[in-house]
Amino acid sequence: MPVRSSLGLATAIAGALVVLFLATPIATLLVRAAGAGGIGAAVVDPAVQAAFRLTAVAAAAATAIGLVVGVPLGYVLARGTFRGREWLEALVELPVVIPHPVAGIAILLAFGRLGPLGRLTGASLVGSSAGIVACMLFVGLPFLVAAAREGFALVDPRLEAVARTLGVSPLEAAVRVALPLAARSIVSGAVLMWARAVSEFGAIAVVAYHPRVASILVYDRFTTAGLAGALPVAALLVVVALLVFTLLRTLARPLPALR
Amino acid sequence: MIRTEALAVSRGTFALRDVSLDVPAGGWLALLGASGSGKTTLLEALAGLVPARGRVWLAGRDVTDVPAEARHVGLVPQDALLFPHLDVAGNIGFGLARRGRAAAVADAASLAGAAELLGRRTRGLSGGERQRVALARVLARRPPVLLLDEPLGALDAPVRRALHHELAALHRRLGFTVIHVTHDLQEALAAATLVGVLEDGTLVQLGAPGDVARRPATAGVAALVGTENVIAGTIRADAPPSGVPFTARLDAGPVALRGLAVREGPGHAAIRATDVTLSADPVRSSAQNQLPAVVRECAVSGALARVTLDAGVPLVAVVTRESAEALGLAPGRKIHAQIKATSVHLV
Repeated sequence: MPVRSSLGLATAIAGALVVLFLATPIATLLVRAAGAGGIGAAVVDPAVQAAFRLTAVAAAAATAIGLVVGVPLGYVLARGTFRGREWLEALVELPVVIPHPVAGIAILLAFGRLGPLGRLTGASLVGSSAGIVACMLFVGLPFLVAAAREGFALVDPRLEAVARTLGVSPLEAAVRVALPLAARSIVSGAVLMWARAVSEFGAIAVVAYHPRVASILVYDRFTTAGLAGALPVAALLVVVALLVFTLLRTLARPLPALR
Repeated sequence: MIRTEALAVSRGTFALRDVSLDVPAGGWLALLGASGSGKTTLLEALAGLVPARGRVWLAGRDVTDVPAEARHVGLVPQDALLFPHLDVAGNIGFGLARRGRAAAVADAASLAGAAELLGRRTRGLSGGERQRVALARVLARRPPVLLLDEPLGALDAPVRRALHHELAALHRRLGFTVIHVTHDLQEALAAATLVGVLEDGTLVQLGAPGDVARRPATAGVAALVGTENVIAGTIRADAPPSGVPFTARLDAGPVALRGLAVREGPGHAAIRATDVTLSADPVRSSAQNQLPAVVRECAVSGALARVTLDAGVPLVAVVTRESAEALGLAPGRKIHAQIKATSVHLV
């Protein structure tokens, strides 16, 4: 089959180019770091451990908050037919397109000591773990909301209508029917959001350089100790991210088994 | 019972207009209509799933302002719409309180012939099995009103017949009130105590199955209930009508048919093929419509012969095989057709 074989060849070449493009920098980084023999030292470095712990916990906290607020929003966007829905969708997706230092400045202005919240309460997110979580939430939420919206959109709304005729409220129908059926998309969105939060640098650098998360620590080591100082932490970050991301993907796959 | 008063729904460009109907407790209304005529919308409005105007009473209760979850109706859709994340027992027990659920699930499954399906996943069930589970899911709550939205429409004929008989038996046994949307005329006439016909969102006829079949209110109803002859023309009263029905004639090209009308103007004559009699020669009888005709086709099937005639307008008659043989009905045979005016419904 000439058509099929030429199609196969074209896709194989394209796939190989993509894999090569993505894998080359990562592999180079890991090889260089292994050659320098620094990954082991980075593992036992207390500053690295603290930064990784903070990154994981802050990303998890941001994802948990994202699930609580983002899943209902995804449902509303999938089901709602209200005026201004397109504007709301654009607003939710905005963090994806604006440069993250700009996002950081916006968060700083809104939630800093001189922002509306700071003036009212005297509290500020600047230089705090809460500020890091806020940045992660800001940049990661669009991924979760989009995934939840897509997941809910794939659920036949008539299933919820039937559930209502069986005596359950619209809220209970959404929770007992739509939510389990959209779970696969929501979990994928949560994994993406967590991963996006872990990799965030620009907004956090503006809002909360201290305490240092992993990405800030890599940058800090690079500016203070050069490539040799940054390489072990960078390589460790890649390895940990790869392991955790693969694990989360594997765990997420069989979750909402449709029977 | 199911009663509506001027029930109306607007949905984009479609509108269900002022549907008023009354199905007595334990009755079975077969709802006929072409695709897009509003049958499903009417069921959704009764179930409280779409915003509607007008009033609705179910089982003696005014439920106009009652949300869907509190109307206590059972809805069985065409494609069953089982919850794919739950197994069969989970589906049947979905609307039940935890206490006593297992027994109620087993009972409902048994009623719907789905007992052997308990414990199975919904994926892999056949169409008939899915409908049994959907029916059991509804019966588990013992609703006084059942809304069946073509539940048998997608099934093979034998499964369809079997399920229909079981449904009718359940209806007799449990006494619920039914509205059954169907495209199948035989199905509609078999179990129904009432037949309703929707056309473009309007309930154009509601009556006993025999009445609707014999006296269709519109050409569309006539076609739906299988009236073989629907002839277009212009209806003119013999004299200024003093009531309905009145005697009138339908001018259809070279042919004028006398019959009973409810209005004048452009319309149709609806004539059942069994109401057309044939004779070799003109006969003197009370039949006011005497039409010379030529046989175009005579198709014998079992004891009956379906005869297609050219009487100035196409006309179909159904006679016994013996009559067809006695008259020597064959293509080209000249014949005379007679139709009583009371069998010509001008609509």
